[in-house]
Amino acid sequence: MDFFLSYIILAEIYILLALSTNLLVGITGIFSVSQAAVFGVGAYVCSSLTLNEGWPFGVALLAAIVCCVVINVLLSLPSLRVSGDYFIVTSFGIQFLCTAVFENWSSATGGTSGLPGIPTPQIFGLHTEEPAYFVWMSTFALIIGCLCFQLVLRSPFGRLLGAIREDEIAVAAIGRNVLRGKINAAALSGAYSGVAGSLYGAFLSFIDPSSFDMQASILLVSMVVVGGARTMAGSIIGPAFLIGLPQLLAFVNISSSIAGPLRQLVYGVLLVVFMLFRPSGLAGKRL
Amino acid sequence: MLALQLLVDGIINGCVLGTISISFTLIYSTTRMFHVAHAGVFTLGAYFVWTFVQAGVPGPVAVVLGVACCMAVGAAIQRYFYQPLAARNATPLVVMIASLGLLAIIENGIAAVYSQNVLTFSEWWGKAVVPVGGLPITGAQILSVVMGLGAYAFLRVLSQRTLLGRKIRAVASNPFLAEIAQVKPKLVYIWVYAIGSMIVCLPSALIAAEFGLRPYNGLLYLINASIAMIASGLGSITGAFVVSILLAVLQNLSLLIVPSQWSIGVTFILFILLMLFRPRGLFAPAR
Repeated sequence: MDFFLSYIILAEIYILLALSTNLLVGITGIFSVSQAAVFGVGAYVCSSLTLNEGWPFGVALLAAIVCCVVINVLLSLPSLRVSGDYFIVTSFGIQFLCTAVFENWSSATGGTSGLPGIPTPQIFGLHTEEPAYFVWMSTFALIIGCLCFQLVLRSPFGRLLGAIREDEIAVAAIGRNVLRGKINAAALSGAYSGVAGSLYGAFLSFIDPSSFDMQASILLVSMVVVGGARTMAGSIIGPAFLIGLPQLLAFVNISSSIAGPLRQLVYGVLLVVFMLFRPSGLAGKRL
Repeated sequence: MLALQLLVDGIINGCVLGTISISFTLIYSTTRMFHVAHAGVFTLGAYFVWTFVQAGVPGPVAVVLGVACCMAVGAAIQRYFYQPLAARNATPLVVMIASLGLLAIIENGIAAVYSQNVLTFSEWWGKAVVPVGGLPITGAQILSVVMGLGAYAFLRVLSQRTLLGRKIRAVASNPFLAEIAQVKPKLVYIWVYAIGSMIVCLPSALIAAEFGLRPYNGLLYLINASIAMIASGLGSITGAFVVSILLAVLQNLSLLIVPSQWSIGVTFILFILLMLFRPRGLFAPAR
């Protein structure tokens, strides 16, 4: 039962991340491969505040959200000045830079050995160490996240973002502010990552840089692509499927040194196959 | 003395980076496609050479065989991967994601077959030190300079003096007009990918001989190389080569004040500064 519950919780956290990536990549059309880095910032900020400073989880969560919003806006600023291919380089660079910070700023992040013993949050006097309690919290966060996402999609703001993806110049020509639209999208996407990162650290009570590296960013893009870009259903199906996949691979008897690369290999194959034969994913719209 | 040593090392590293950069510039300036999977071809090159050496083939022959394999891989990627995507009218975003997926497949395929551990060449004469003007220069460093200048000269002659070079320039400037003039852009693209992949095998093998083979390192080198390409103003092979040397020198000199694990940060800050002040690159004509 606990095994199933932890699958649900992890899937819920990754659904929040997929929504965040979907907002940037799918809806606004900013190809970002550094979303795992932002996720990492959220996880590290919240975890080290609760672990080292003894802040309550709620306050640390807010701090993590603020940090992620600021960072994601800063990271997406180059996309306002440089377009297309230049931004891809910027995005890869940001991912490498963040990984370097996570690995080398040992006094704050614990270096490559990570941060162990992150306290589990206490909500209304209830310890959420048991997955059965934690699942309520993550489900609550997910419902709020999905509601916001759906509201944004249907609002004029959502349509503006879609229009920016289709044709930036046309949007500017009818007098809408492209810059503000992109910044708002990045900020919202950062808030999702902040929540997801905080929950991730609190649930596993251990984080290390390997959860937030380039491979993790590729996983996030795969989730959006497999599920389908630009829809909420897509961002739910993708993570639910891809988080479940390693559990299925665990039943096949392969040595653990190959299991990691093989899993990533499967993600790569999924990316290529979907891009070739079904760019809209399982439940998405045209990318 | 240390500064002089770092300066010389920087120039030499710049020749290696420059070789990667011109191979990528050739592909990018002709096809206008940010070929992320080039990092995979780069990694693959070293593993090809290593496999041939393990099989008992003498070193220089192994390099030639590796180069031939890379050429075939590059041509195959364009013919059987990008052309089907183009035939389906894939948007740049879709092509980008597919290319990222291909990179994940190549890197993790290598990791699954050859393990994630660092592999090394057993014997290698490049470690021998030759004092040049009081500075200890290794054989590998001399080879780097020869390789860099050789690859540069090869590409210059190819693009200026041969029929294929003229076709490449024609397709690069206007694929539509080129097609009318009986130049087959699809065929030229295949050649461009083959030549670019062929060249990138050399620095790959050299870096592997010096520092060992790692499956996940390619992207970092490619990002450095593409920063040099963008900084030079896109599309000029001479510019890309010169800026690569400049970039490597700056990176090396920064070691005087910044520890080496942060050198990605230094590169990246240089890139951001450049994007802010000269977004068209150093050698681009002023508008």
